[in-house]
Amino acid sequence: MFKIVRGRLNIWQVAGSILFMIVQVIASLYLPNITSDIVNNGIAKGETGYIINAGMKMIFVSVLTVLASVGNVFLASQASQGLGQRLRSDLFRKVLYFSHDEFDAFDTSSLTTRTTNDVMQIQNVIVMMLRMMIMAPIMLIGASFMAYQKNGPMTKIFLIVIPALIIVVGGVMYFAVPLFKAMQKKTDRLNLIFREGLTGVRVIRAFRQDTFEQNRFKDANDDYTNNAIKVYTIVAMMVPFVTLIMSGTNIGITWLGAHYIANQTMQVGNLIAFMTYAMQILMSFMILSLIFVLIPRASASAARIQEVFAKESQIDTVAKPAKIKQGEASLEFDDVNFRYLGAEKLALTNINFKMDKGQTLAIIGGTGSGKTTLINLIPRFYDSETGTVMINGTDVKALNTEDINRQVSMVPQKAVLFKGTIRSNMLYGKDDATDDEIWHALEIAQADGFVKDLEKQLDAPVEQGGDNFSGGQKQRLAIARALVKDASIYVFDDSFSALDFKTDLNLRTALKADEKIKDSVVVIVGQRISTVADADEILVIDDGNMVGLGTHDELKENNKTYQEIIESQIREGNDG
Amino acid sequence: MAKDKETVSSKPVGPKGPHGNAGPKPEKAKHFWKTVRRLASYMSAYIWGIIIVLILAILASIFQVMTPKVLGQATTEIYKGFMTGVAQQKAGIQVDQFPIDFEAIKRIIFVVFLMYMASALFSFIQQFVMTRVSQRTVYKLRRDLKSKMRRLPISYYDQHSNGDIMSRAINDMDNIAGTLQQSITQVVTSTVTFVGVLWMMFSISWKLTLIALATIPLSLIVVGLVAPSSQKFFARQQKSLGLLNNQVEENYAGHVVVKSFNHEKDAIAKFDAENEILYKASWKAQMISGIIMPLMTLINNLGYVLIAMFGGIQVANGGIALGNIQAFLQYMNQFSQPITQLANLANTIQATVASAERIFEVIDEPEMNDDPVDIPDIQTDDKVILDHMDFGYEGKPLLMQDYNLNVKPGEMIAIVGPTGAGKTTVINLLERFYEVKGGSIKLDGRDIRNMTRDDVRSHYAMVLQDTWLFTGTIYDNLKYSNQDASHEEIIAAAKAAHVDSFVRQLPDGYDTVLNEEASNISQGQRQLITIARAFVADPEILILDEATSSVDTRTEVHIQHAMQRLLKNRTSFVVAHRLSTIRDADKIIVMNEGSIVETGNHDELMAKDGFYADLYNSQFAGNVAM
Repeated sequence: MFKIVRGRLNIWQVAGSILFMIVQVIASLYLPNITSDIVNNGIAKGETGYIINAGMKMIFVSVLTVLASVGNVFLASQASQGLGQRLRSDLFRKVLYFSHDEFDAFDTSSLTTRTTNDVMQIQNVIVMMLRMMIMAPIMLIGASFMAYQKNGPMTKIFLIVIPALIIVVGGVMYFAVPLFKAMQKKTDRLNLIFREGLTGVRVIRAFRQDTFEQNRFKDANDDYTNNAIKVYTIVAMMVPFVTLIMSGTNIGITWLGAHYIANQTMQVGNLIAFMTYAMQILMSFMILSLIFVLIPRASASAARIQEVFAKESQIDTVAKPAKIKQGEASLEFDDVNFRYLGAEKLALTNINFKMDKGQTLAIIGGTGSGKTTLINLIPRFYDSETGTVMINGTDVKALNTEDINRQVSMVPQKAVLFKGTIRSNMLYGKDDATDDEIWHALEIAQADGFVKDLEKQLDAPVEQGGDNFSGGQKQRLAIARALVKDASIYVFDDSFSALDFKTDLNLRTALKADEKIKDSVVVIVGQRISTVADADEILVIDDGNMVGLGTHDELKENNKTYQEIIESQIREGNDG
Repeated sequence: MAKDKETVSSKPVGPKGPHGNAGPKPEKAKHFWKTVRRLASYMSAYIWGIIIVLILAILASIFQVMTPKVLGQATTEIYKGFMTGVAQQKAGIQVDQFPIDFEAIKRIIFVVFLMYMASALFSFIQQFVMTRVSQRTVYKLRRDLKSKMRRLPISYYDQHSNGDIMSRAINDMDNIAGTLQQSITQVVTSTVTFVGVLWMMFSISWKLTLIALATIPLSLIVVGLVAPSSQKFFARQQKSLGLLNNQVEENYAGHVVVKSFNHEKDAIAKFDAENEILYKASWKAQMISGIIMPLMTLINNLGYVLIAMFGGIQVANGGIALGNIQAFLQYMNQFSQPITQLANLANTIQATVASAERIFEVIDEPEMNDDPVDIPDIQTDDKVILDHMDFGYEGKPLLMQDYNLNVKPGEMIAIVGPTGAGKTTVINLLERFYEVKGGSIKLDGRDIRNMTRDDVRSHYAMVLQDTWLFTGTIYDNLKYSNQDASHEEIIAAAKAAHVDSFVRQLPDGYDTVLNEEASNISQGQRQLITIARAFVADPEILILDEATSSVDTRTEVHIQHAMQRLLKNRTSFVVAHRLSTIRDADKIIVMNEGSIVETGNHDELMAKDGFYADLYNSQFAGNVAM
């Protein structure tokens, strides 16, 4: 926890807020003192003037307390929220600059949670600490000291009360915490079954399993409810018990106090003050016990955040990056081997090919055969283990990724759009693209039709993740976005499979005819024979091995894997 | 008597902000009292429990209110003895021990102790009972919601997002459980305490009470001024947090794109701007909600000091007993609590009733219609007949008009069309997920509306692209389509669908529990399980969606084999993607933009040279050479 807080928490604000808090504690410890003075010196002696004086002093101290606590809140909120801001910002930067290896180690939703919820947890704990938790021990010591000063012998009452409090609070936690954990699981199960009832409604009804589902839910509901009743019954004991202990303390103090007063070892006003201090002591204890609940939760969050910070980048930055050659587009893989971090097996073995400008390379193979892995080496998402990947004749390891990305335009498998407008998405790869350029790209991508149908056309809003467009539309917009960008190499990672055959064909035909594309290398990853058939070269990949490279006609003649793929997609007759 | 209650009362401020005054404004219910009555009817079974709880709550609060005054009597006794002692000392009498009436004190303490005990016991019993009432009530609500889900038409599911329904089933339920458990008793205790405290204060001294009451307007001003601005900042914080979350999600999900377009700096700049807004809103929200407590304490303290001063003077003049002042000061603290508590409760209860209303909204949705229609059975050899059928989705224009199709037993009907052409509509109608708008669908000559839905569906089995399996063992998932299937039948089905071989390689075999994300088996294997599941059902008619999802070549071959086997000797409707299936089909239903555009077999449709011919040619134009 300290690791992630260090350097991000404004020390001056923290120091200031603690200082204010100390003032606040001292002032509130002083108040009961005045009360007892009023009783001892004012009321008991019937001195009205003294009472008024002391009263003024009380008001002054009260105002001081409030000022101090406002100061404390002011600084504590800034310190804690500022910490959150810096943590979020650092996390976001760190994650954005992650290479694929690091990103793969987490998943998207986990990284999102770490950046948002986990930071929120830390922020909340810090605010609690600065406002209450640090106060508790100070208050505890201060109040004990004051109580002891008021009446030393009477403090022995705490020897009974505090252990009793610890037993009650500890006991409740001991029994309740495991039940709470179990409850989380049971809640998850309840939600899971309900959600499955929604996602699987067609299957459930088609197979007439409604009753089965109702029973499944009933069991989970029973289980949850019984557990919840148990947990809350245990928790219900806490408040009455704690109240009883505190009330008991008051009674004890009154009884003992009466004797001390009778023996003239204590003044009446001190009795009242003592009670106040006693309550402050017990309250501080209760707050301290909160630490045991909050700290583990926060440190879990802190650990998850630290995990992100601790990830080191696997892609070496190049000290003196080479300049990429312009104009002569080419892409070459020279005996490339690749292995995922920590993997035993090579993910790609001996990949060799060279494509020149104007040529199209298609890559085909089953799921998990290494198609996406292969193209991920082009923009240096990963680095090859041996062999070289060359863009326009330059080894990518000699280039920095920013320069590479300028030359490589990619359409990933999963279409991702960003909140904004169609235009803002299209400008993603080229800030100064004209409307004509955008429309041209949309035409090639077969997206001009539906964009024209939108009321605001290029200024039509795009929601987060492009959720207001269908899967096929998103894919076409992502393709258009990549085409707006000027690059030497255009990579389409399985981008055409979401399109129907006809759109797929039109798109590829338009792509071939485009001037810009004629000067660059196109890489198409596909699953359908029809998508890859007209490429200049088709690379057949199976289990990370390049098992064929050639044109459709060549491969159809002599490549076993390619034939299998054809066979699986277009089967004549039946063999059932 | 401690006045600094801030230490106890400031709750941790979660991302959603604290409840009550300082938090965002709760949603309002549309029909408040109607919903309350309805919610109450759910609790009517526990009416005696609730009555007991309310009585106990009243008693507990009364005891709670009385104790300071009774305990104050002890202080008065002590003070009396002390004053007498002092007087005696002044009179020159040697006093070792002040004449304090310990017997009286013992009596008082005993009474107070009993009251404390009773109060603690009562409040425990209240919680004990209310836990049961609230959990059982929500149990019933949850049960009713779930059983409602089975009676809702599929169109409801299609029109409402899962997220929306889930939030009602989870968040709204939780809200109700929490409120029932806490708030009902709190309303009673707060009210009783407020009235009781006021009563006790008046009984001690009306003058002091007026002084105490004078502080109320001050607290109202604080609450009235500070709370709205705190709400404003919390709302701003919430909004900004939401936007920031979206940014984070979007950029992480699109990490590949952000990187490959060199957009890191741009994304960071946008993030920093929003992050700064969030920081400003959240520290202010934190700060303003944080100062409410100290300000209230200050007002309370002012009252306290005034009471101490005036009361002190009166005690000194002998007008009032010291114990009473002590008690009065305690009442001062208890007095402001119920006011703030009631204000908070008003918000909580509003939000809860709104939650209940959202749940009742689902429970009141119109259910599926089971009325038979006046269409007589006919004698026919056809398995399925679509007879002058009209269909369109609710509130939308008709998609199909006067459509006719006769399906003989054993025939295969292929449904083809581009993505988004509405191929699932046919499945929806056959399985009676949706009802026809006109005409009739007949199964074995009988209109399906004259059969129960279960009866209709017992003739069918489905294999969809969406490979839904429930969280349970593979074996139970296979058995899902027919709970009466024997072990042998299930294993035979698994073998026929190429499931047996990979399942045996799993450490737990058929007992492997499939999890929700299905991370333990591949997508292709899930597809195979859904095929095996259809085998177990052994249906007369099969509905199949053969879309090739992303699976490896070998699994793909397995899936095809399994589907072929499953289709054999059955009437079938296949959402077709493969040439072979389409060519083999006895009839092809060609769909585009939701409507059926052509029907016929391959040769007929090719001869027609219409939409189908166009679709067919484009599919293979790239590689005619094959």
